[in-house]
Amino acid sequence: MTRGISWRNFDFLLLGAIVLASAFGTAMIRSAIAGNEVLLPLINRQIYFALLGLVVIFFVAAIDYRYWLALYRPIYFGIMIFLVALSSLGQVAFGAQRWFTVGVLFLQPTEFAKIVVIIILARYFDRAQNDPRGLKWMFRGFLWAFGLMFWILIQPNLSNVVVITVIFGAMLWINGIQLKHVLAFAGIGALALGVLVAVSVAGIRLPFLQEYQQQRIVTFILPDPNATHGAEYNVQQALIAIGSGGWFGKGYGHGTQTQLRFLKVRHTDFIFSAVSEEFGLIGAIIVILVLAFIVWRCIRAAQKARDVAGSMLAYGVAVLIFFQGAVNIGVNLNIVPVSGLPLPFVSYGGSGLTALMLGIGLVESVVMRHKQLDF
Amino acid sequence: MSSGSVPRSARFETWRLAAVYVVVILVLASLLFRLVNLQLIEGPSWLTRAVDNYTNEVSIAAARGIIYDRNGYILARNLASYNVVITPASLPDDDSDIQRIYREVSELTGVPVGGPLTDAALEEAKLYAACVEGPSITQLVGLQDSNAPYSPVKIKCNVSEEIARVVEERSVDWPGVTVEIDPIRDYPTGSLTANMVGFLGPIPALLEEELRARGFIPNRDKIGYAGVEASLQGILAGSNGRRVVQIDVAGQELRNLEPPVAAVPGYNVYLTIDTRLQAAAEASLLQEVNFWNTYFGTIRISSGVVIAMNPETGEILAMVSWPTYENNRMARLIPAYYYQQLSEDPTHPLLNNAISAEFPPGSVFKLSTATGAFNEGVVTLDKIIAAPGQLLLCEKFAANEECTDRNTRPFVDWIFETNPDGFGQIDFLHCIAYSSNVCFYKLGGGFEDEIEQGLGIERLGEYARAIGYDQRSGIELLGEADGLIPSPKWKRLNTGENWSTGDTYIASVGQGYVLATPLQVLMSGATIANNGKLMQPTIVREVTDGEGKVREVWFNPEDYTLWVPQDNVDGPGDTNRIWVNPADPAITLDSLPAGSYQISPFVPNMKWDITETPMIEGYSCDAGYCSLIEDQLKTVKPETVAAVRTGTRLAVTDARGTLHKVFLDFPIAVAGKTGTAEYCDDVARKANQCQFGAWPTHSWTLAYAPYEDPEIIVMAFAYHGGEGASVAAPIVARVIQAYFELKSIDIAQGGAPSP
Repeated sequence: MTRGISWRNFDFLLLGAIVLASAFGTAMIRSAIAGNEVLLPLINRQIYFALLGLVVIFFVAAIDYRYWLALYRPIYFGIMIFLVALSSLGQVAFGAQRWFTVGVLFLQPTEFAKIVVIIILARYFDRAQNDPRGLKWMFRGFLWAFGLMFWILIQPNLSNVVVITVIFGAMLWINGIQLKHVLAFAGIGALALGVLVAVSVAGIRLPFLQEYQQQRIVTFILPDPNATHGAEYNVQQALIAIGSGGWFGKGYGHGTQTQLRFLKVRHTDFIFSAVSEEFGLIGAIIVILVLAFIVWRCIRAAQKARDVAGSMLAYGVAVLIFFQGAVNIGVNLNIVPVSGLPLPFVSYGGSGLTALMLGIGLVESVVMRHKQLDF
Repeated sequence: MSSGSVPRSARFETWRLAAVYVVVILVLASLLFRLVNLQLIEGPSWLTRAVDNYTNEVSIAAARGIIYDRNGYILARNLASYNVVITPASLPDDDSDIQRIYREVSELTGVPVGGPLTDAALEEAKLYAACVEGPSITQLVGLQDSNAPYSPVKIKCNVSEEIARVVEERSVDWPGVTVEIDPIRDYPTGSLTANMVGFLGPIPALLEEELRARGFIPNRDKIGYAGVEASLQGILAGSNGRRVVQIDVAGQELRNLEPPVAAVPGYNVYLTIDTRLQAAAEASLLQEVNFWNTYFGTIRISSGVVIAMNPETGEILAMVSWPTYENNRMARLIPAYYYQQLSEDPTHPLLNNAISAEFPPGSVFKLSTATGAFNEGVVTLDKIIAAPGQLLLCEKFAANEECTDRNTRPFVDWIFETNPDGFGQIDFLHCIAYSSNVCFYKLGGGFEDEIEQGLGIERLGEYARAIGYDQRSGIELLGEADGLIPSPKWKRLNTGENWSTGDTYIASVGQGYVLATPLQVLMSGATIANNGKLMQPTIVREVTDGEGKVREVWFNPEDYTLWVPQDNVDGPGDTNRIWVNPADPAITLDSLPAGSYQISPFVPNMKWDITETPMIEGYSCDAGYCSLIEDQLKTVKPETVAAVRTGTRLAVTDARGTLHKVFLDFPIAVAGKTGTAEYCDDVARKANQCQFGAWPTHSWTLAYAPYEDPEIIVMAFAYHGGEGASVAAPIVARVIQAYFELKSIDIAQGGAPSP
């Protein structure tokens, strides 16, 4: 299983970027705690998870990814049991059940479920690589994804349903979906989105959507400039934080929006605003560039992969990191409705960080076993 | 391991991968575009909002100045009022501890603990203003916790000192519960001095913007509504301090962003009032009022005024306007029912009748006629005038009108009822002493061959104005009325009728259209008493700053602005004095308006000396009609003033003098003049009292002492009091007596005589 691996092919640049992003993230969380004693243990917890994540990367990288693909059944149904259990047993918070309490830790199976979806879809598209690119090809892939997506939808956690949908869609695209189908789906998608927005603004409740989620859409379309709390207020404070950062920012630990706690959920959803406030445009661009670099290294691994499965694994992780990152930054910049997706590797969140590290481990596993052109 | 798949040189179709890259680059570019837009282009405005977020301006309330009387007796001060407050952020973490604190605080203050904190309960709590009873502790704290958890919320206002002490003692058991001290104005002398001291009220919406710009905080700071609290607001208020602090999202103050500006306490004001004399004056007035009202078995005298002044300096020693109000009832807030009751009362207790009300002055006005007639040579000391009980005079509206039976009517003297023969043959001085109406009809309007040319209304007006009538005195109190001396022009404009000879006759005895404030009557007497020098009446003696240093203050009666000079050190050794107007600091010494006078430190301010300041317009008169001679201002001859003074003394010394009985055994030489003024106002008309020939009358008296070198002049007025000599005169006598008794007490105690 670990025979013939060559650490020579291990992507140390990718690892370096991950370490850089995580270390920077931990430092930013430390600043964003802003003297809140309740949040103080989060810094160490994030460090433990980052160190754990590094071990996970090496461990997963050392094992041939095809081994995981072979174990797809226990992995797939195992995570499904967790998701099902979550909908009845999980901790209720913010209207959505997203955590398992294991000791002092909150475990979010959803974060791992996204990696599992990537593994399952990688296996599927590998198996179906010679199938005609018809509706049946698409529908069978969708069924695999939907098996996990459904439980996430009833949590309800719309953001991650969208993430999985985007991963599935990106895989369809790269595996050669026909353009007429793309156009059809784009049309249906646009129509559905239009209806969703119109219905939400009209104040009609929809199933699978929490009231606050519809409200977020409404406040994004029709912002209330006088809001003193809630999503709109948070976004306003984020914009003030970002905008007041200027070229070079106010300095680490000196952002008034962050340190005086005007910026809300600043260690998770709005950590990008904290970065932009304290390190300015330069800092924000560096964060974006590091994320872009990670995405690029993943796509590079996907191109080098020896088989479709490996390629899809790396590609799926790339899409996951890119989409989450772009949506998170878009929320911070108020060009996307508030969604609750973390900034990869930077935001606080043990499960999210570990799951992403696991994904990077898979990418490393793929790139280490790429087809040898350089005999 | 072998996958069995065919290795390809590129895993993906190039164009599909290129599309992915295009999407990635487009998304990143749009993020970057937005980022640059926010941080660089809109950056400064977002930075302003960030600064606004954490910047908070805290105003430090300045202590209001204290008001004393001339002897340092406190008339207005600041007392502490205690509020029980809770700071939500300082409450303990444990819910059961919080509930215990709520229970115990509730037991102490009587404010209910309240049920669970629901949204509806929070909404309900929002409906109440601070200090209004209703919401429970849970509601109040819950609401404050969501607004500003680091700021205290008032649970119970104005608790007793005892409750405040209990809260202080239990501060260890009750974290978060504290006592807040709120200054409230207290008036130890209450209604006795309310008409001069006044009261405070909230900043009205009309002034909010202006006062806010000057650092006042609406709903916290109060301003004067009446009395010197209002007229000296500019120096009493002081200036609020200011701290600009950095706050966090919960409102907790972190540090000063700018060096704090300390509050400057308001200046203390010493009034010229002697509270003891004020009390004596009020007691004298009420004794007389109660006597007569009891005697008649009805509320006959419904209001009255007593003013005592030093005629040589203009210092008002006492100023009673009864009925008045209790300004302590306005200390915390102005009770709506009380204010309504006061403002609807027909006797106008909220008005200071001494300066704001106008009445016909009656015979006290004869001082004007006497001064004019003597000065213009209408009468001499040797002239003997026939003063029968009544005079048949004809009412002519034009010079060429014939005197017929139809327009001839009797003009009655006050003695007619008791003695139809009148005073007989009397000279000018006895005209004053006996207050003979017939004599003054003749002096004012002329009579046949006896007095060929009377003074006439034009010249009467000149002399009345010279001794203080028909204009505001400029005293440091708001709402002063200016009285009225009619003229033919005024009558044509206001009634549409020509001036008649009868108008002149009755104006000569202070009736008809003539109106005066009690203070003007006092000033007219003071001018005569002080040998023609009219002193500026003042109720402010001294102004001191927070350190007790006497400050120079000037007052402009035109617009009630106050001027405080400040030393402006300009280069080595050069000290310029600049004037600081609280409303406009840019105004300098040169632009101090005319009419302003110094109110602190005290200097007697002479308005004018009628024997030296040429201010009487010359008129040439013939057959009862006078025309103005341009540019011929003259003075009053000193012997004129001396003659009128002698007449006022004769009123006391002559056996038939109007003030003879009252001052019969008085040890000090007193001189004065009484007045019984017929009136017919709305109140009298409603009560059906306006019967021709038996009009209701106001009672007036003014008297000064000692005659040779007067140091006190007292004026008393009783609305519907009847005869001046029998109602107002005893009041004046008692006040003068009290004055000299107080003076001897002061001397006996080794102090300098207070005035």
